[in-house]
Amino acid sequence: MPTHADDLSYIAEAMPVFISEAEEQLASLEQLLLQLEDTPDDRDLLDALFRCAHTVKGSAGVFGLDRVVAFTHHVETLLDRLREGAFSLTPSLGTLLLQSTDHVRALVRQAQSDETESEGEGAARAAIVARLQAASGETAAAALVAPEAPAAASGNPRRWHVSIRFDADTFRHGLDPLAVLNYLRGIGAIPRLVCDTAAVPALDGFDPESCHLGFEFSLDTDAPREQIEQAFSFVRDDCVLHLIEPGATAQDFATLLAAMPDQPRLGELLVSVGAISHEQLMQGLDQQTDQMAAGHDALLGQVLQQSAGVSPKVVAAAVQKQRQRDGTASEDTGFIRVHADRLDEVINLLGELVIAGAGASLLARQTRQRNLIEANQQITRLIEGIRNSTLQLRMVPIGETFARFRRVVRDTAAELGKDVALEIVGGDTELDKAVVERIADPLMHLVRNALDHGLEAAADRVAAGKSAQGKLTLSACHESGSILIRIIDNGRGIQREKVLQRAWDRGLVEQGVVPPEADILKLIFEPGFSTAEKVTNLSGRGVGMDVVRRNIEALRGSVELQSEPGRGSCIEIRLPLTLAIIDGFLVGVGSSKFIFPLDAVVEVIASRSTATAVDAQGRGCVELRGALLPVVDIRALYALDSPAPERSSVVVLRSGGRRYGVLVDALLGQHQTVIKPLGLMLRSLRGVSGSSILGTGEVALIFDAASLGQLAAQPHSAAHGASRAPTDFQNGAHSTTQGQRS
Amino acid sequence: MANTHALPAELTIYTVGETGPKWLAWLDGGGDERLPVDASAVAEVDAAGVQLLLSLANALRRRDRELELVDPSPVLAAACAALGAGALIDAMPPIGA
Repeated sequence: MPTHADDLSYIAEAMPVFISEAEEQLASLEQLLLQLEDTPDDRDLLDALFRCAHTVKGSAGVFGLDRVVAFTHHVETLLDRLREGAFSLTPSLGTLLLQSTDHVRALVRQAQSDETESEGEGAARAAIVARLQAASGETAAAALVAPEAPAAASGNPRRWHVSIRFDADTFRHGLDPLAVLNYLRGIGAIPRLVCDTAAVPALDGFDPESCHLGFEFSLDTDAPREQIEQAFSFVRDDCVLHLIEPGATAQDFATLLAAMPDQPRLGELLVSVGAISHEQLMQGLDQQTDQMAAGHDALLGQVLQQSAGVSPKVVAAAVQKQRQRDGTASEDTGFIRVHADRLDEVINLLGELVIAGAGASLLARQTRQRNLIEANQQITRLIEGIRNSTLQLRMVPIGETFARFRRVVRDTAAELGKDVALEIVGGDTELDKAVVERIADPLMHLVRNALDHGLEAAADRVAAGKSAQGKLTLSACHESGSILIRIIDNGRGIQREKVLQRAWDRGLVEQGVVPPEADILKLIFEPGFSTAEKVTNLSGRGVGMDVVRRNIEALRGSVELQSEPGRGSCIEIRLPLTLAIIDGFLVGVGSSKFIFPLDAVVEVIASRSTATAVDAQGRGCVELRGALLPVVDIRALYALDSPAPERSSVVVLRSGGRRYGVLVDALLGQHQTVIKPLGLMLRSLRGVSGSSILGTGEVALIFDAASLGQLAAQPHSAAHGASRAPTDFQNGAHSTTQGQRS
Repeated sequence: MANTHALPAELTIYTVGETGPKWLAWLDGGGDERLPVDASAVAEVDAAGVQLLLSLANALRRRDRELELVDPSPVLAAACAALGAGALIDAMPPIGA
């Protein structure tokens, strides 16, 4: 017999799941509300909203979280009124609901840490409840007159027919049909009740915890429909319920039969409960058989049309329930919760597998046995396949992160008194989950910045000849092996003079010195900079932009700012797609091996004579199909000391819309590259973003196309200081990355 | 031997999982048309418990036997009545009649 201790331990174990699922429901609720504000009459949105609140309330009930249940009940009531069409969503109502959602979230978290509520919080909650009640019209006279219940206030009990069939998981969801029936007896009398006992399977092979109970009964009550339906609120998702109102005809019952399985037997039940007479049942069934000939779907439709007196809600509810069971409407099927650590473990093993596979392939080639070589090639292909699929598992669409900003933009714009529309483009662009999590905060700061400083107030915009509503666009797309995120606003742009003045004031630039155009905007990212006249809550303390840039660079990304005074600004953030395994292109220079990300490689010019003139830093030009291509000689750039061969090849890379070439000795082909991080002492090496272990056991450095390009483009003195003697790379990188996770 | 079958004190969702399989042995007993089961000890019951009783009754009926709940506790009787399973309680005439 379960003890209280058992219950407590069950609750403790299951609570984290409840919390995370509740948080998901609440996040969903928030998104749906924001969508609803754009399309207030969308029926599906309204239903989905109600379901979210209902689910949270129900689950909280299972855990005995009374405060959450009580509060969410009011939210649910208001949402129910909305979906009934009692009134429409207004902005202030939207704000109230958003605030309520926040409050439910806070209550759930309180429950998690088992806190007690402070007096202030209790008062705040009561205030919101009062507003919710006022909005629902839920004061004193609870009887909203529904059109189909004319005698609502008459005080004469009326006879309803209730048909309820509980789902198999009813008991597992913590619900008890006995409790439901007892509650109903509190609002009315049940003169006749029949249980479909034949539907309960015999003891052999029966799972006692599955529910097979169905009931047909009459309910004599003067309560209005809403109150009756309210009695079923907790079990509504766990049963098929038909509520047939007083004065229904045989046709209505025919409809009821049509929606249920095993009709003749149920018909008998209806007779035995006194809902219809035997003759009426026969009539109804005959009619159905005739209509059956006309096709099953037509049947339901026709019968629906004929039954004029039946509340459309009853039938609609039944049909919808049917559809749900057919599995067409469910959003939740097809997903499995996986712990992120387990996924990382798999990817790590996969990385080792790739390297081991490369080693095996190499040995196979050395044996020169064709069968063995082919077998290894097959293995390599399969490993590539697993690699792609597994890395896909870590990819999440950035749209989820972007969607969070809708609320931020809405609230912030309202706070600042600005009218801003948020546009999201490319929300289904996917990137690694770890990257998504770490980019969220920098993005938030940039969005707030744009709202605070970039976009002007409506009056100023109109005065400048622009539309009163400002536009903020968040966009994401893939570009040459990276993900490109843009934050674009059509606000006032950045005033270069102001930036320069501030830089002079803060001592970031020598007074009077004017840096080149492209560098002025970059000053904004320097620590200690801010052009805000006053520091607001949101931004202006001067600690923002440099932290943003640092966070982005920590992800091996880059950020750039473009702006046109009076027209707007655009911030471009580039991030790597994955942090673990990529397709690489292997090259050799001297005795060293290097890898380029295959996505960045445009083409390869093999084996041309080394006629390219390069300067001391290794930079030169090559003609490619009539156009000049800047090239850089790796050997010179990194001061590798092996002699140059007679012929060299050029790898043409693409980065940020520009192309350049790299001179190498040997082209060694495609290579599945497991990225190992560089050791601490090599992190500041520019142009290189990681290292990898080849099948031979050698270490190859992985170039980052963007930073290599920048390095090559820099003036002589700066770059020279940054390059380092490479001879110690291989060993150093290898020993410090042993055992580190990528 | 006949009256060694008895219902447990708690017949709810928490206990039906264990109790159900135990009752399977009762089915194999063979013998009389009626299977008497002492129902006086039931102190806690819910719909899952009543459902289990219905399941037992159905299984017995398939074997041409009937379930007889002897001396049902008030709690059990009320629950059966509420769930429309009153047939479980009042089908059988008193013992000896």
